[in-house]
Amino acid sequence: MSTESITTAPRASWWRRLYTQSPTLLAGLAIALGIVVGAFVIIFTSPVVLRSWRHIFSSGGAILSALKITVDNVGAAYRAMFTGSVISPTLLWHSLTTGHGWTTTLTPLSETLTYATPLLIASIGVGIAFQTGIFNIGANGQAQMGGIGGAAVGSMIHVPMVIHLPLTLLAGILGGVLVGLVPGLLKAYTGAHEVIVTLMFNYVVAAFLIFSVLSTALQQPGQSNDISRTIDASAQLPPLFGVASGLRVSYGIFVAAAVIVFAWWFLERSSLGFEFRVTGQNPQAARASGISPRFIIIAVFCVSGGLAGLAGTVQMQSTTHYIDGGFLIGNAGIGFTAITVALLGRNKPVGIMWGALLFAALGVGGRAMQAATGIPLDLATIIQSFVVLLVATPVMITEIFRLRNVETQRIQLATQGWGS
Amino acid sequence: MSVALEASRVTTPHDRRTTTIGAIMIGLGLFIAVVFGLVVPSWAHSQLTFDPINTAVHAPWHLGALTVETRWTDTLLGLVAVALGVEVVLRHPRRAMSRFGATSILFLLALLLWASRTSGPATVNFVDLTAVLVGSSSLAMVLIYGSLSGVLCERAGVVNIAIEGQFIAGAFLGSMIESVTNNFWLATLAGALAGAFFGWILAFLALRYMSDQIIVGVVIVTLLAALSSYLNLQVLTPYPQFNLGNLAPNLAIPLLYKIPVLGPVLFNQTGFFYFAIVLIAVISFGLFRTRWGLRVRAVGEHPKAAESVGINVVATRYRNVIMGGAVAGIGGVSFMATQGQFQPGYTSGFGYIALAALIFGRWTPSGAVVASVLFGISSYLAGNLQGYSVPIPTEILGMFPYLITIAVVAGLIGRVRPPAADGVPYQRS
Repeated sequence: MSTESITTAPRASWWRRLYTQSPTLLAGLAIALGIVVGAFVIIFTSPVVLRSWRHIFSSGGAILSALKITVDNVGAAYRAMFTGSVISPTLLWHSLTTGHGWTTTLTPLSETLTYATPLLIASIGVGIAFQTGIFNIGANGQAQMGGIGGAAVGSMIHVPMVIHLPLTLLAGILGGVLVGLVPGLLKAYTGAHEVIVTLMFNYVVAAFLIFSVLSTALQQPGQSNDISRTIDASAQLPPLFGVASGLRVSYGIFVAAAVIVFAWWFLERSSLGFEFRVTGQNPQAARASGISPRFIIIAVFCVSGGLAGLAGTVQMQSTTHYIDGGFLIGNAGIGFTAITVALLGRNKPVGIMWGALLFAALGVGGRAMQAATGIPLDLATIIQSFVVLLVATPVMITEIFRLRNVETQRIQLATQGWGS
Repeated sequence: MSVALEASRVTTPHDRRTTTIGAIMIGLGLFIAVVFGLVVPSWAHSQLTFDPINTAVHAPWHLGALTVETRWTDTLLGLVAVALGVEVVLRHPRRAMSRFGATSILFLLALLLWASRTSGPATVNFVDLTAVLVGSSSLAMVLIYGSLSGVLCERAGVVNIAIEGQFIAGAFLGSMIESVTNNFWLATLAGALAGAFFGWILAFLALRYMSDQIIVGVVIVTLLAALSSYLNLQVLTPYPQFNLGNLAPNLAIPLLYKIPVLGPVLFNQTGFFYFAIVLIAVISFGLFRTRWGLRVRAVGEHPKAAESVGINVVATRYRNVIMGGAVAGIGGVSFMATQGQFQPGYTSGFGYIALAALIFGRWTPSGAVVASVLFGISSYLAGNLQGYSVPIPTEILGMFPYLITIAVVAGLIGRVRPPAADGVPYQRS
């Protein structure tokens, strides 16, 4: 790469710059491959498409019609995904020419931003842990506990908004810290591998969630279902364009923006963030220079868990205003997606922002796709998993596309094996 | 020799751990004696029955119910546990962990008796011990497959955290193939191939490209969870004939299955159960008594040294991870064959619990089996105790297997040493 920069013109073309900027290029290629794989999954599971290929040898035109059916089906799925998550060109044209129907036109974009907000916050938490060499796979449980904390404070305390809103956010952070702290302490003092412990905590918190929304303290009065009280209006993150606009995108995006700025400052400017990164890159060197590994492990779990908890409460405060037994369960969960976003964004705040927007669009679009074409929403997770498998093995992408001069950076956790 | 033993007894950290285990055992014993025993009113009785479940049609035997006074029985059980703990603290026996296992079983038995307590001998609430053991044994079997898969992979130095994913793949494909062909042999083969394939993916990414084994493993699990849920909606829901969920038939071993209590548990099981037992023996023998096993262990402990004497480290790891994947895949089929119809997410973290059993069993097949049995019983009880009068909500009870897993991984009941090169990528220099 260094010889390249000497021999080329003073200012390389944008194409060359894109081509040699490895993280962006590799992520882009991984996403492209993921979408191709998703297309094949659709092809192999759609009876219409498979039936059309069965008869390709019967006549000359059959292969063309089979191709057309294939492209139509895959195209319809991805088109539904795009129009459901970004914008529909026809609706946009309609709104531009008539000046009406802006709510319908902008709803997909608003939904994507609404889903991206908590995802972004949780992903930054996971990313900070990754930068320290810690794999926080329990973001989902931490976020659920954040939601429980937020719902409790939001519905039980009645104070003006100036106090109530920050207090509810803080309760969410504390909930996340609480769940994150246990694996942190266990890892610091017993060497228990964080992956198993945080994973198990996901199951524990999921059970606790049901327990808490059925408890007399939190359950919606007069209900026997697993549903919590609705938080006060003073604890809600109000819609950005007012309730009348019908768009759900809320002031939560400012919380997310603040988290990006905080993460940048924390990692690049603060001394604790510096110690985190040193520990992640070389634990031995960190220890030799007087950084206490125990303190770092506990601190990173507090930061990471706190952000995940904030994500959970923001999700609750900006969308439903209550939690139920299905809060962040299954396809609604953000924990796994947060891992993929962090890996895709190379654990950097800005990279994570783009990753979160992309994967939120994939999730929201997946829902629209399921409604329009009947193809299950899980396709979005399948694509995400492929993308992150590729991102975790950058050398493979460079081999597939025969790229040269692209620097790859291997993602490696600080601890291997079970480390106890 | 006895002097040397005496000297080594004083200082090793292993020693301190044994004391901790003993202390925990004494604590458990006292808990049983007081909470399940002495506090219980004297009128409370517990009834144990032993009716065979899976030989009900022509039950070869009938044992009368055993009714005991809950207070004094549980106090006695607790005192036995305390005695075992005291023995561990004082004598530091080599098999402290097996005594810990015995204490755990005493705890579970006492819990069962306590949960089914009722007034007077004429009871409606009773514990069918045979049913409990049979139910636990099928869960334990799945965990045995999972932890043996872990033994194969981790002894060669690769962390296979994708066991859960291989379970899902095996259960899904097994259910489909079984429904189509009505043949469990083919289903097992398909499950093994599916597991082996995902083992190969893990090995390929981890060994060829040196990706982080844990990240790749976790992503494989998520991929398979999503893929199986996707295919469930796209294929199994519209075509239910692909997901009949037939249970594997029980193969009773002549004469032996008539043994009271033990017969139904050990000798009237599905083929998967017997195969698991064969597999335990084969893997234990192979790993510790054959040249192959020595090489595998060398690769897992010190790959550089292994390479220097001509062992192909990468090939050994590939082979073991693929074999491990196949074993886990069969485990998935066995789960389907005993629990029924495939549903997305129904393995509910069993793959990770199997990993914990492996750690608890100190990376040995026999240890993993003991741990799997313990985890199997506790998972079964956590799922079935709500039928009894336990003042604990179902959700909290459901947490127990996961909390025990955390305690095991955290080394709260004794620290363990993994194979030295476990999870460390190998780079030929």
